[in-house]
Amino acid sequence: MRHPTRRGFVTGCSAAIAGMAGARFPSMAFADPEGTINNEIFVVVFLRGGMDGLNLVVPLSGVDRGHYATARPNIKVPLTGSDSALPLDGQFGFHRAAQPLHELYQDGNVAVVNATGLDEASRSHFDSMEFIERGTPGIKTTASGWLARHFLSAHNLPSEIVMPSVSVGNLQATSLLGDRNTINMSDPDSFNLQLGPWEWRDAQRVALRHMYSGDDTWLHRSGLQALDAMDIVELNVTGNYTPANGAVYPSGSFGDGLQVIAQMTKLDLGLRVSTLDLGGWDTHVNQGDDGAGYFGSLIGTLSEGLAALYTDLDGAGPNNYTNRLTMVVQSEFGRRLFENDDEGTDHGHANPMIVISGNAIGGVHGAWPGIGPGQLFDDADLAVTTDFRRVLSEILIRRMGNNHLGVVFPAYSDYQPLGIVNGTDLPPNYSGEIGGLFSDNFESGDTGAWTLTTP
Amino acid sequence: MKPVNDTRSPSRRELLDRVRDRATAALEPADAGSTPRHLIGRSTHMYRSGRARATGNTKALPSPPSAAIITLNRLGFGPRGNELANFNALPGSNDHQRLTNWVDQQLDPASIDDSTCDTRIASAGYTTLNKSLAQLWQDHIESSPPWQVRIQPYYEVERATLLRAVWSKRQLLELLTDFWHNHFNIYGPDSWAAPIWSHWDRAVIRGNALGNFRTMLGQVAQHPAMLYYLDNYTSSSAGPNENWARELFELHSLGTDHYMGVIRQNQVPTGPGGKPVAYVDDDVFEATRCFTGWTFDFDTGAFEYRADWHDHFQKTVLGTYIGANQPALSDGNVVLDEVAYHPGTARYISTKLATRLIGDNPDPSVIDAAAAVFEAEATAPDQLAQVVRTIVLHPSFLTTWGDKIKRPLELVASAMRAADGRFTFALDDDDTGTLLWRFDQAGQPLFGWRAPNGFPDHKDDWTSATPRVMGWRLMNWLIDVRNDSDVFRLNVIAQTPVGVRTANQLADFWISRVFGMAIPTEERHEIVEFMAQGHNPDFDLPLDTDEDTQDRLRSMVGLLLMSPSFLWR
Repeated sequence: MRHPTRRGFVTGCSAAIAGMAGARFPSMAFADPEGTINNEIFVVVFLRGGMDGLNLVVPLSGVDRGHYATARPNIKVPLTGSDSALPLDGQFGFHRAAQPLHELYQDGNVAVVNATGLDEASRSHFDSMEFIERGTPGIKTTASGWLARHFLSAHNLPSEIVMPSVSVGNLQATSLLGDRNTINMSDPDSFNLQLGPWEWRDAQRVALRHMYSGDDTWLHRSGLQALDAMDIVELNVTGNYTPANGAVYPSGSFGDGLQVIAQMTKLDLGLRVSTLDLGGWDTHVNQGDDGAGYFGSLIGTLSEGLAALYTDLDGAGPNNYTNRLTMVVQSEFGRRLFENDDEGTDHGHANPMIVISGNAIGGVHGAWPGIGPGQLFDDADLAVTTDFRRVLSEILIRRMGNNHLGVVFPAYSDYQPLGIVNGTDLPPNYSGEIGGLFSDNFESGDTGAWTLTTP
Repeated sequence: MKPVNDTRSPSRRELLDRVRDRATAALEPADAGSTPRHLIGRSTHMYRSGRARATGNTKALPSPPSAAIITLNRLGFGPRGNELANFNALPGSNDHQRLTNWVDQQLDPASIDDSTCDTRIASAGYTTLNKSLAQLWQDHIESSPPWQVRIQPYYEVERATLLRAVWSKRQLLELLTDFWHNHFNIYGPDSWAAPIWSHWDRAVIRGNALGNFRTMLGQVAQHPAMLYYLDNYTSSSAGPNENWARELFELHSLGTDHYMGVIRQNQVPTGPGGKPVAYVDDDVFEATRCFTGWTFDFDTGAFEYRADWHDHFQKTVLGTYIGANQPALSDGNVVLDEVAYHPGTARYISTKLATRLIGDNPDPSVIDAAAAVFEAEATAPDQLAQVVRTIVLHPSFLTTWGDKIKRPLELVASAMRAADGRFTFALDDDDTGTLLWRFDQAGQPLFGWRAPNGFPDHKDDWTSATPRVMGWRLMNWLIDVRNDSDVFRLNVIAQTPVGVRTANQLADFWISRVFGMAIPTEERHEIVEFMAQGHNPDFDLPLDTDEDTQDRLRSMVGLLLMSPSFLWR
């Protein structure tokens, strides 16, 4: 099985683009009589800057509550009052501003995995993000992202998908680095060349495609990727988007981006993977008293957004996307147990990952290492007990049916399911080999996409 | 036929709101004036990884063009007017000698008459570019002016930066200024950075771009914009804040290639002179203590050392023991010395500069040579100029092409230079506001990168669809009419000589004008086909009388600016 392409679509499109302007490309439903095609929708939300996970998933009871309250006299999330935490399992609770997320939790759609992270000890934002998004802890020069290698190795996707992945934002997510089928876009309404003399715009598009087909360098390939993306979006996105079920997205780029993901999902063009960032988490100062303030408002944006997307995609029959949906929320690291004198927190280590899915096994998962003396990493931070790759691997295997962990996460070798999502277990394949079928590396990708290089 | 304008161009009001939203996102409440200062804001960094990547080029790249074209595209914002000819007329019997002469002149910017650019800047009506820090603080913060006035210095530097990129003859200085802005990145629209942005730009970045690294680092460390952005202004012995110290090591000096994470200092191998070859987290924390008490006066913006906030105990940073109770500022200055003179810093800065000036995968021998100069000239007042000179005069400079792509700033500036765009970026010009908004859409809002690592430089970050589509869209914006009149931004028709009227002639005239060289046959073929539209490309077109043909020519120029050939660096 080859990595999906959209060559057929593009070929047809390029010849007809001038005449088709405004036409809608027919919806692609993936008839799957043998039940072998995987239809899962995977959304990865990355919280940039190091989210303070101890103030999102808060210890509520036992000795750790005491350690937590002592370490965070000003910024702790309280047990009582209007800002009090929302209980999850008796031991932990969500930040009060995570109310919408808490409602999803109560419906059994949220799996919280405590104390996840890198086995590589780094308190650098940038290195940690590279390690996670490339899927190779300790190696930041890997030439492709882990999600790109998922597409490379998945054997249960249709041979053609018009829109396999969308990376919302100004730049393509590193986790999708090397995947030239990814549509990187912020706003579908302005994702076109519709400026300048209108009568020559279509002819420009045709000429551009020819010019960027004239050679086969990285630049030409990236130009064709952009032209394909523009064609697909422009031909399929018509009119204003109205969220379903009364879903209300938070204002700002995060809510806008989630809405784009919903909109693209509902085009039924085969969207499997979407990525989106929410930044602003590097809270060295003035995080907010008693869990309120700046951090709380950011948690509110996050939770409202995630809940809005879930609501928007929750429908009946063919419009039931949530039974195929898995969202994962992660950050490059957590923050110190101890607040600093500026009522902020400095760079720490482990952090929860949040998994939201119609197929979630709701609850709080992952071994909790404790936050007492002798239990902290480097005497300061929550210790990592669960490799972030374990969480992602379970989603890959149980939801996306891809067990090629050796390709997606090279050097990862001790996967065991945690039980965070429902699905069928497959034996992990730790081989980095994916067979001669991929001898051209990455299906027109511009790099030796899955080749690992060590520093 | 009159071109149809994009109806989605935001009004000036919307643009202002947009920038204000970005700048005040962290403020609670939005009215900064009513909040105790120590509770105001934080740096809301939008972290995103942007490290150099191991992209292997699998297909042949274009052959390197002439020395003049390489030089003007990679050491500046593309050729304009007769600059290619001027380069080729420089003294010297070969490319290397001409390049040497060009570079030596550029590295002495005062020797270059820049009156054309100066006149443009003067005519734009900016009023804050030359104000002292104290004056900026008084006029734009202390006097509690309206928001537009508070943020005006940032607005003016944004616009002046564009003007200089397009008009200045000191192109290398402009390119390096952009480099150092990103190296010591601060989010410009931040409510405490914007009012003093012209001082940061002029005195710290521009003033040291060809100077001495240690000197620049010292000014960076004491500038209120940086003290605020990375939180050191609040760091005290009672409450140390690691943010500045961490990024000082990680982003400003040694880089994470010389970071060994969470191990103890005595576990780090030592190199020449017994110095540790890398830093670890404990160095960050020790350095944090060294910088406690480095803050600024919120009434004047002046740097201030608070002895009562300083941690006076002994520390150890990068293997150097710092005794207790040192004189004022000494501890921090020792840290700055340690990092500025560390061999890892020489390699890190040299690698970044070579990546900017040559290509994304610079030849290791360039880095070796540049790092050696960086170290040998560590105290020279023109250390950085010498490092740059070493890099660009390395043989690989003239043999490397196509290993980089233009980012939106380089794309727009080079397009305006190639097609002689003449509009001035005035403060209250609606059209300029639209352009700056479009930079945002294309992924490169000027001085608008939130995280302290600056805009990524590597092509992998700029080859995805958003920067490409929005970059192309910007080219169609350039050929369009202004927001406020029927005047075209690029005067394409008037620049086309009378005798140039066939599709072939129009294509060749504009290819020559935009590129100064031939472009690949298939690209030229598309340009001619576009212009001829199925008719004989040697027939005269009614350019002088037919608006549709005029539009077609404008769109043809837009197409040239969107072509692969226009993106290579």
